Amino acid sequence: MDTSSPAAIVNGEILNKFVGRRVRTVVQVQRNEGGMVFGQSTDGHQLTIKSAMDIPVSHFMEVYGIAEHNQTIRAEVCTDFGPNFDAKAFDGLCKLANDKFKHLFL
Amino acid sequence: MYGGGGGHYDGGGGAANANSLFGGGGFMPSQSTAAPESSGGGSLSKVGPERADAAAAHREADHGRGAASDDKSNFAINSVEVSTIRLVGRMLGKVERVTDVAFILDDGTGKIDVNRWENESSDTKEMADVNDGNYVIVNGGLKGFQGKRHVVAYSVRRVTNFNDITHHFLHCIYVHLELTKSNSRLPSQINASTGIPGHANQVRLPNNQATTFSASGNTAGNDVSSLVMSVFHDPAIIDREDGITVAYIIDRLKLPEEVIKEVMQKHIDDGNIYNTIDDLHYRSAMNG
Repeated sequence: MDTSSPAAIVNGEILNKFVGRRVRTVVQVQRNEGGMVFGQSTDGHQLTIKSAMDIPVSHFMEVYGIAEHNQTIRAEVCTDFGPNFDAKAFDGLCKLANDKFKHLFL
Repeated sequence: MYGGGGGHYDGGGGAANANSLFGGGGFMPSQSTAAPESSGGGSLSKVGPERADAAAAHREADHGRGAASDDKSNFAINSVEVSTIRLVGRMLGKVERVTDVAFILDDGTGKIDVNRWENESSDTKEMADVNDGNYVIVNGGLKGFQGKRHVVAYSVRRVTNFNDITHHFLHCIYVHLELTKSNSRLPSQINASTGIPGHANQVRLPNNQATTFSASGNTAGNDVSSLVMSVFHDPAIIDREDGITVAYIIDRLKLPEEVIKEVMQKHIDDGNIYNTIDDLHYRSAMNG
């Protein structure tokens, strides 16, 4: 069992607390320009994902990566979550996982 | 379990895998005991692999804190013994061998080795459906060997509804709250909540408590739902491999068939019970 490099579950607002660290989030793809994905976080922030895979516009994309900046993530792994993902529930999870129950996740 | 207090874990995702033994189900703490001396009684840990969810979400078998670490797989979290767990994460490093498949599960909080024995052709088929990079739901037993933890999977299903991932972690939080809450309950209270006379005399605390957990969403511990589960957890029945039939439960509880069938269906949906040898026989998923 290896728990040496957990990824914090973040939304757009919480991302800035993890700059330089490993994070995971979900964005809704708005446009894709040669490996750079511009998307909206589950709390409405505009995020840029570098080295992202090609995922259709309007689909939700999960990203594991390093937070380079408070609005930029360098992707390590991307997963297409499809067009029907409950962003609100995920956003609620982000808040819980970084507040009262942080000790369970990091 | 999921139903009573936590809602349905699998949502729509489990339906596609209904043929899986544990498809659509979940596990809340199945065995609760007084804190083993070796458990340390420490705080709960995390959600990840170790933090497994037992349904569960996570019964976090944390970083060594709190858990007995012998090779007999007695892990305790907050004094709640952990045996069956559920993890949701990405499959990595899948290695197919003659009799089993080994892989690493990464759920974002950590990585843990998982082994799935392929005893039946259905096992092989299930494992052929999942590959590296896929999100999977793993139900299995938490084991320890030579000081290292791993999971022996009972079922490995590909995630088709990605809301299941969100739901899993929310369920982990729920289970954590249940475990910490249940820890403060006295054994006498737990026994009192099971409805079958005479049952309280049987020292089968783990299962009694499991009944309590499953009924956590109800205001009373001795409602029909709990009564049905109490029948499954009767010491004379719990070890039956084939389980019991609906007719047996109706006869035992002397309650209307429609009521029993409705409650049974809910327990099936929640993963509290599952079919055994045919469509008529059911067994509790909390047998450990």
